[in-house]
Amino acid sequence: MGLGIMRLTALRWHMNLSALKSPVNFTPAPPEPRVKLSMLPVLAAAAFLCSGASAVAAAQHFEKHFAVKTRPVVVIHNVANGRIEVKSWKNSEVDVLASQTSDKIGFDMEQAGDRIDVTATILDRSAQPQELEASLQLTVPEETELQLKTETGLIYVEQVMGDMTLESVAGDVHLNEVSGYIIVRTTEGSLVCTQCAGKLDFKSIRGGAQVLQPALTNVSLFTTSGNILFDGDFVRTGLYTMKSGKGLVEVRFSGNDSFDLKAQTAVGTVDNQAAAYLKPDSHGAKHLASKFTKGLFGTVGQGLAKVELSSYSGTIRILKRD
Amino acid sequence: MLCKDMEFVVEQEGLAPLPEAAQAHVATCSHCQGFVADLAAIVSVANELPAEVEPPARIWVSLQAQLELEGIIKTPVVPAHGERSSGWHGFSDLFRSRALATATVGLLIIAAGALQLRKPPDASLETNGSIADPVWQVPFAQTAKVLNEQEIDLRNMQPASTSAVDTSFRQNLQQVDDFIADCERRVSAAPQDELAREYLSNAYQQKAELLSAMMDREGSMH
Repeated sequence: MGLGIMRLTALRWHMNLSALKSPVNFTPAPPEPRVKLSMLPVLAAAAFLCSGASAVAAAQHFEKHFAVKTRPVVVIHNVANGRIEVKSWKNSEVDVLASQTSDKIGFDMEQAGDRIDVTATILDRSAQPQELEASLQLTVPEETELQLKTETGLIYVEQVMGDMTLESVAGDVHLNEVSGYIIVRTTEGSLVCTQCAGKLDFKSIRGGAQVLQPALTNVSLFTTSGNILFDGDFVRTGLYTMKSGKGLVEVRFSGNDSFDLKAQTAVGTVDNQAAAYLKPDSHGAKHLASKFTKGLFGTVGQGLAKVELSSYSGTIRILKRD
Repeated sequence: MLCKDMEFVVEQEGLAPLPEAAQAHVATCSHCQGFVADLAAIVSVANELPAEVEPPARIWVSLQAQLELEGIIKTPVVPAHGERSSGWHGFSDLFRSRALATATVGLLIIAAGALQLRKPPDASLETNGSIADPVWQVPFAQTAKVLNEQEIDLRNMQPASTSAVDTSFRQNLQQVDDFIADCERRVSAAPQDELAREYLSNAYQQKAELLSAMMDREGSMH
């Protein structure tokens, strides 16, 4: 529901501010006066290595600054191959640095109030893959909402606070010290979320998810065949759901954790390496595994958080960290 | 006139013109002056907003699917296999719009899931292993049929793209298809395995989303 409402909100936002738009066409030529355009010379080595790609004439860089007032919303859609990197600073300004390998990619950038839209589009459908590499480096205020979408490149976000929706087909998503309502959708890209806080919702087909040292109060991870690793503390009253169809679901908890555990697999296995810490449910609820599934129920500590693990054919492993 | 009367007057008659008694009260009451000023500011800003465009139908379809998934509204009943009306063809045509694909399949899955989960357990199924009810035999059959048609349409639209993204999509579609087949075998063997059924349902949803993404990409490329 959250994603749907978010999209609807975004739609309304877009409609209401449409009159305020100030579009800036960011195709490589001709450059606008406010744009810093630097045509770097052709690197001999690159030319040598890419001798088959005559259209890759030069790397091009564009940089643009957008002044913002409050918490901005940054929307990036990169259909080219390349990474999107987002870091934060103390300034009330969004800085966008775009790099591309050829003039067969165009950047459209526009600002509507505190919303910044950046879209990389392919101008020449006949271009070779090496001509379609475009990367974006953003520096944003610490409190910023993000909607990033890419196809094959890495999405990297560091030290940003705000709700974010990150979508990728084959690119990985790396998050470091981010907080907010974090939605990640990939087809085969994997997620590594280090020291994240807030809520995390991840879905993928082949991508895996690693959640390391989190302070997340609500986690929902689902992948068809990727592996899942949760290594960190469970926040009291937190809700954690981790499901993998064919992959490994591994949870490493600490001795101070307090959670109720429900682990079930249809045809996989449950590898309980923490039997000494798991006690029968202390809340009086009687859990019985279906006769069609293998299940493990128990409580660690007082059972304040709720942890649900499941797999179809993959292994579920529970262990205590050293 | 009292402050609470002011709220009633404004609610009933609007801001302009205020009745004389209300004007007299506002003139001496700073609280109501602020109240009237706030309302006037809101009306002024609202008048400057551009007229809203009617959201596309897919927004409502998507919302409906989500509300049904969360049990907030009831699921429409899907006719059984042998009872399909001619209206199905119209529905199928509707589904061909890729904008509605994901949401429609979501509805189908939910409806099929609800129908199957509501069916009372049949002890004979476990004892003799025979499965008489076609709903048990082929879970999510309607969904599978529609999705397979979509997949064929997509293959015809996209004969031999070699881009990394298209290749990734195809490989993942194959992965999902394999997983669906795996889950179907399990559900056929153990129809009351709710966990396997849940994974099958999720796999169909993923397939619908994947097909939708592939079609969107195909549309944007051409």
